Amino acid sequence: MAIRTIVRLTPAKPKAGENVKLQVVAQHPNEPGTRKDAEGKIIPAKYINQVEVYFEGEKVAEAKPGPSTSANPLYGFMFKAEKAGTFTVKLKDTDGDTGEGTVKLELA
Amino acid sequence: MNRRAFLKTAGVALGALALAGVPARAQALEGEDLAKLEKALQEVLGKGFKDLTPSDLIKLNMPAIAESGANVPAEVEVNLPPGQVKAIHLFADKNPTPHLVAFMPMKALPYYATRVRLAETSAIRAVVETADGKFLLASASTRVTVGGCG
Repeated sequence: MAIRTIVRLTPAKPKAGENVKLQVVAQHPNEPGTRKDAEGKIIPAKYINQVEVYFEGEKVAEAKPGPSTSANPLYGFMFKAEKAGTFTVKLKDTDGDTGEGTVKLELA
Repeated sequence: MNRRAFLKTAGVALGALALAGVPARAQALEGEDLAKLEKALQEVLGKGFKDLTPSDLIKLNMPAIAESGANVPAEVEVNLPPGQVKAIHLFADKNPTPHLVAFMPMKALPYYATRVRLAETSAIRAVVETADGKFLLASASTRVTVGGCG
């Protein structure tokens, strides 16, 4: 199942040389494997353990979150805006499910 | 105690705290658990707690109190040139899995924000691996009212 991934930039249209925040929100339960359901059985772990950021096809950042990330997680990165282009964020969880989101960087 | 008296007492207590000016690092952090952290550090970095150098270059933003441990914002910013930072790690002493995240900035600026689960009141550590092989440390402490892992 694909992970719903939303990516946005703040500010939306930065000036060249300005810092821009890239925020990624994923719709995912991120089960740490320590929580129990109503019957007391442990819910198996299933969490996003790989976040990759690409800019124009080049990998520019990578995070490996552990099981202690909250549900519907947020990942925030910061870049220096130099030229216009497209950010692509690829997510992968422990079951191999993937998600992808893109956002266009336009300079003011 | 009525509200006014409480506010007055609280104000005096805070003032005294500020006057004392105790450096935060000299005190033990609330929820500190070095034994567990040590194990996680060895597993992830192959280093111990004493190999880490406390540094003012790292800014670790954590709330002092979190109502729910299920969703605690964490933000770390490193005041070093981008190429100098190889990886940023976050640890929570008291979590079942203390290692929260490993972040490799590559072309990004040395900044990372996320939301984490905290099992209970815990010390949070940001460990920065620099390009020249040094390990820098910043610590914070977050009090949790309801745990996020159970």
